[in-house]
Amino acid sequence: MEIDPLPNGTGSADTTSTETTITKTATTAASNTALSSNPSQLTESLKLEHQFLRVPFEHLKKTIRANHRTAEKEVSAVVSSFADVTDSNGLSNDDAVLSLTSLVSRLQGLKRKLDEGNRTENLQAQRCRVRLDHLESTDAEYLSVWNNVRLKRILVDYMLRMSYYDTAMKLAQSSNIEELVDIEVFQEAKKVIDALRNQDVGPALAWCADNKSRLKKSKSKFEFQLRLQEFIELVRAENYMRAILYARRYLAPWGATNLKELQQVMTTLAFRSNTECAKYKVLFDPKQWDFLVDQFKQEFYGLYGMTPEPLLNICLQAGLSALKTPYCYEDDCTKEDPLSQDNFRKLAMPLPYSKQHHSKLVCYITKELMDTENPPQVLPNGYVYSTKALKEMAEKNNGKITCPRTGLVCNYSELVKAYIS
Amino acid sequence: MEFNSLKDSFERVAKKQKVSYSKTHKVADLIVQEIDKAIQMVQSSTLEYKSKLAELKKKLQEVSPLSQLEGTQKELNIALSKYPKALEKVLNPDISKAYRNIEFDSRVVNQIIACHFYRQGLFEIGDCLIAEAQDVEAAATMKLLFQELHQILEAMKSWNLKPALKWAAANSDKLKENGSDLHLRLHHLQFLKILQKGSRDEALKYARTNFVSFAGNHMAEIQKLMGCLLYSDRLHESPYAHLLSSTNWDTVTEKLTRQFCNLLGKSYESPLSVAIAAGIQSLPPLLKFMTVMAGKKHEWQTTKQLPVPIELDKEFQFHSIFVCPVSKEQSTDDNPPMMLSCGHVLCKQSINKMSKNGSKSFKCPYCPTGINLTQCRQLMF
Repeated sequence: MEIDPLPNGTGSADTTSTETTITKTATTAASNTALSSNPSQLTESLKLEHQFLRVPFEHLKKTIRANHRTAEKEVSAVVSSFADVTDSNGLSNDDAVLSLTSLVSRLQGLKRKLDEGNRTENLQAQRCRVRLDHLESTDAEYLSVWNNVRLKRILVDYMLRMSYYDTAMKLAQSSNIEELVDIEVFQEAKKVIDALRNQDVGPALAWCADNKSRLKKSKSKFEFQLRLQEFIELVRAENYMRAILYARRYLAPWGATNLKELQQVMTTLAFRSNTECAKYKVLFDPKQWDFLVDQFKQEFYGLYGMTPEPLLNICLQAGLSALKTPYCYEDDCTKEDPLSQDNFRKLAMPLPYSKQHHSKLVCYITKELMDTENPPQVLPNGYVYSTKALKEMAEKNNGKITCPRTGLVCNYSELVKAYIS
Repeated sequence: MEFNSLKDSFERVAKKQKVSYSKTHKVADLIVQEIDKAIQMVQSSTLEYKSKLAELKKKLQEVSPLSQLEGTQKELNIALSKYPKALEKVLNPDISKAYRNIEFDSRVVNQIIACHFYRQGLFEIGDCLIAEAQDVEAAATMKLLFQELHQILEAMKSWNLKPALKWAAANSDKLKENGSDLHLRLHHLQFLKILQKGSRDEALKYARTNFVSFAGNHMAEIQKLMGCLLYSDRLHESPYAHLLSSTNWDTVTEKLTRQFCNLLGKSYESPLSVAIAAGIQSLPPLLKFMTVMAGKKHEWQTTKQLPVPIELDKEFQFHSIFVCPVSKEQSTDDNPPMMLSCGHVLCKQSINKMSKNGSKSFKCPYCPTGINLTQCRQLMF
């Protein structure tokens, strides 16, 4: 905030200028509400929406890839069986016709599948477009409505990540924003997470197989961790022979890259599940399953281009830091400040304070910012209020001012303007 | 914002998807055709059908349906890899860079969210969250507090003022204490509503019973309302037509919400909305800083104060913060802001420094006035 960068002269010269500033205040106050968000700030805020556009696209890409794979498989299967039919000599005419007709119906099946796949792809592509349009639809006039939707989107993202699916669904439906949130994508995660919570690695392994190439690219160890857990469960069940066979089949391939973990786990064959040795005891802790759930979430977020933390946490952290001042924790903190509330104070405790390069003065009476248009004035006792508030008080009380914090009474003419830069 | 480039990039994906789809279709048709030919040949059971079949097989291999798919697939893949790159270029690909690895207590966050739902009147969703999450029951107290407000507002939406008037009457003393004229404004709307129904006598009766207690402070306003009585059947064309505007209802609704929250000791805006909006404003500068200071990630995790100043809009200014223009430090109780005789304000330490602890007079750094330490006054914002 800049107030009167270079006022020449002392306080006495300013009584005339206050008259003009006051009339100005009235007009700017009205226009300010419309301009409260400037265009560059809006653009900057839209740049935070990467996840919003990325997730539906990754979803579409996945569908396209999967559909293509099935098409490829079918076509090559048909071509090779066609060759088989033509090559086989012992086939009677009728048999040849029969197997050729079956190939045709197989291709008809493929075409049906293609159509079906195309429909899903189109729907998902439409979702990508809706999101692009939604970002473009920000309009200064309806900004508050748009911002409200954004908050709801952020909340739905949080609910989905916390597995509060019902709340997420209800919120999305009641606000009519289903196209703008990723409930469908999270259905895929829900299956895996539910199974892991029931100590079943099946769906998680299937998910790994589904996304094999991408997981490999990001050097993910998730599948290995699932395998380790399955091995541990066999040891826990004292099924040692099967555990060894399992290890040979599923763990050995990881030996080249993860020998240490492999060795550690193999040692449990000797220590057994009731071991007190901390290094191995931890492997039998049921919390390992929670760890797998967390691990899965991170892999899942990564594949879909989501942030590793819920959007809510990221925004809340940045917002609370920017709002946090030493004054927030005082008893007379205004209740409009979120940090006047215990819950928000708790969250903000470990966060840094905001940094200020310029003074920002808020009038104690009107709670409005004091700036060039509404400059601060000093009472004889050193207390400072905005011109607007003091002027209003003087008009109501025949030019008398009463300090609301000390009770001091003085004349409007005794006030002195303060210059803050 | 370069939406057009993003849209173009995406439409390329959509186009290539279509091409790929129709190509696969074509290839399937082609094979069907060839097989049909083969079937006919086998059925005709001419002697040389074997050799013809071999020919067909050769032809099918020449056509090599798979490699035909490959070409379109390649183009689709290029489009598929370009769009995310375009996204990463135009948008910020990872906003979690500005995140400090501090785990929020999810119970506290859930309570905040549940309270937010109740405040906004989304009672069912709040209940749902309490059922799904653990240890958030405490938020249910908010529900009771805000249910009344939303009943009042709901009724006002269908032009029913009864619940609002009942609440205002029950809290009229507190409203007066706050200097609010809400109670009168509600009567005012009710009076006009009765008048619009066309019953002048009833409106007059209503005015007599309800306006008397406000006569002392709001005479002018009440006189205007009485003027309306003259035009009871053609209020729309009268000089008082503006009183019928529905924006009057909106402003009264807002006033009522404000007063209601105020009497509950709650903020008018949902604190969650405020904190998130502040976050959206502060993330861009924070992220910019993080890219510049990529090497100092460690410092970011432990710093006690944000490394960059963040200018939030004025609706987020809740406290007076004085930064000394000389030392650039924020004022504290030990180092309060002081006003010089010329009206410029510095903090105490800076003044002490310049005056060598009061041993000599000095010039104001902003205007050429000579300053004596004894003339400086401490300010309270």
